[in-house]
Amino acid sequence: MSKVILSVRNLHVRFSLRGRTLHALRGVSLDVYDGESIAIVGESGSGKSVLNKNFIGLLDKNGEIPEGSIRYYGMGDKMRHYSAAGQDENGDYIDLAQLRKNVDWLRIRGSEICMIPQDPMTSLNPLKTVGWQIAEALTLHRGMKGKMAHEEVIRLLEDVRIDDPERRARQYPHELSGGMRQRVVIAIAIACNPRVLICDEPTTALDVTIQAQVLDLLRDIKKKYSLTVIFITHDLGVVANIADRVAVMYAGDIVELGLVDEIFFDPRHPYTWALLSSLPQLGVKGEELYAIRGTPPNLFQEITGDAYAARNPHALVIDKRELPPYFDVSPTHRARTWLLDPRAPKVEPPKAISKLKELGGVSRG
Amino acid sequence: MLKYLLKRFARSLFTLFLILTIVFILVRQMPIEGYFSNFDKMTETQIQNGLEQMGLTQPMWKQLLNFYTRLLHGDLGTSRVYYRGKPVWDILRTKLPLSVQLGSLAILFSMLVGLPMGTLMAKYKGRFPDQLGTVFIVLIQAVPAAVYYLFIQLYGTELLSIKLRFDEGNWISWILPVFSLSLGNIAYYAMWLRRYMVDESNKDYVTLARIKGAGEGRIMFRHIFRNAFVPMAQYLPTSFLNTVIGSIYIESIWSIKGMGGLLVDVIHKQDNEMILGIVLIFSCVGILGLMLGDLLMTLFDPRISFTKKAGEV
Repeated sequence: MSKVILSVRNLHVRFSLRGRTLHALRGVSLDVYDGESIAIVGESGSGKSVLNKNFIGLLDKNGEIPEGSIRYYGMGDKMRHYSAAGQDENGDYIDLAQLRKNVDWLRIRGSEICMIPQDPMTSLNPLKTVGWQIAEALTLHRGMKGKMAHEEVIRLLEDVRIDDPERRARQYPHELSGGMRQRVVIAIAIACNPRVLICDEPTTALDVTIQAQVLDLLRDIKKKYSLTVIFITHDLGVVANIADRVAVMYAGDIVELGLVDEIFFDPRHPYTWALLSSLPQLGVKGEELYAIRGTPPNLFQEITGDAYAARNPHALVIDKRELPPYFDVSPTHRARTWLLDPRAPKVEPPKAISKLKELGGVSRG
Repeated sequence: MLKYLLKRFARSLFTLFLILTIVFILVRQMPIEGYFSNFDKMTETQIQNGLEQMGLTQPMWKQLLNFYTRLLHGDLGTSRVYYRGKPVWDILRTKLPLSVQLGSLAILFSMLVGLPMGTLMAKYKGRFPDQLGTVFIVLIQAVPAAVYYLFIQLYGTELLSIKLRFDEGNWISWILPVFSLSLGNIAYYAMWLRRYMVDESNKDYVTLARIKGAGEGRIMFRHIFRNAFVPMAQYLPTSFLNTVIGSIYIESIWSIKGMGGLLVDVIHKQDNEMILGIVLIFSCVGILGLMLGDLLMTLFDPRISFTKKAGEV
């Protein structure tokens, strides 16, 4: 595999809410490789968005990082501006977790790490033309102005497959459909010329036919601009479609990480099993769809042992006492569950998982 | 666009007609004692003669007809009490420009101070500049204007070593009345702009601008300000009108010969022609203000259009 570009190590994030502390991330570790596309999946509140907000320094004001680091290896020449710099086996890095000042982030946001926000309908400034908003990114990061910027705007709009770009560039966001606005947002993101692109549920707000087009577009853009893409999603269909690797998050931690085939066809963590079993495509006509029982743990409270234990039908006694370490399944696949301990009883994954394997060829298209 | 404006203009004329008619009729419901200074000593016939002379004994429809016929010929009538025998238009013509000048300067100054103030307050929300601004706004709104107007007059004139009386030809003597007149508007603009900007700064497009790598200053001025200004634009012309009319107290303490207290004064004196003349002017300015407000909004916001429905391409 290629070089590591972003390395999260034992990251903790806490929010203080009305005098109480919410432990949103509980020691996340993750390496993101240059040029890959990795999907982060998990239910609402599992911390996937919080994790990604750290990468662009947009953590809410009441959040803090008490522990851990986020090493970014792609800074190049701009390294000299930073004191939070260092060197390890992956190369020169700066630690994003230590950046506090807005100026420090301005050299990273957009030009190094950029993000496509969730809702294209509200993400564009309603009073500025589409062209102006793309050109702004060009001015900020590539020093382009006037005619040069305009030509580049047209080129970018063509890149995101918008017809009649000359006319569209002069239009305001309200004159564009949702799918087109999402394309404009993507054009803004690539106008910044980033190395890492975070897509925060990029298709959730769009209707199904447009979803496929936007995913297609993202795949092409990724190739053309050799981007590293991080997808945040709870749509496993998107994951199967576009990701190289998958990280499954639960209650502020990554419980399983592996190549997309390993996660879909050989999942090891009971939470991943449950997640996959609840795919509606696996339902049998006439039977109720599978749903995970219970609710995620309260992150205001200290969690001992495996956070999923309370909802896990296969939970062992030790699950409630001690946090399992990561067990390696393969060099690319690891899971945080005691079931992988050699001393653990043999537990068969639910039937739905083997069914998924059979369906595999079909669903992956 | 032109069609819309014409339609709007026709509607405005109708509104104007309604206002004038209602006021015309209301004025004539006032007690007849008010028309005469020595009512108690007058005989019945004297009173009748007097009323007849004023044309008040005719049936209402005829009086109205006369009024509108005159109006259409550009005649606002003559003052009866306020300035006996002088045409209403001649009286207003000397007073109007002074009030309008005063009001315009005050509005201009309010915008120059109030808008940056609101912007700064929004930018430093919850911190010192915001708190300072809030104290100012609360003070201005809680303390009766009369109190600080007098303070400004008393200490201001001393400081600038000028007379208490307003002198139109001397620009220094404009400073304090304009300043006094501005204070309320400054607080008003700052308060609303701050509020709208804070609202806007939580919107998604601001996050995208931040993700793009735009600095906070750029986000404030290039993205948020204009969005926050749209809802305010509509009220600017109206607040101008209020400033012109609302300068009663300022004009009286500085002895400025403007329009400020005129309406109340002539109602008190039952000077019917003057009342209608002033109402006509204020209504025109008011209607024009609303129209201008809407026009301003379309200028600032491409989503608002006179001719197209939203969402149409």
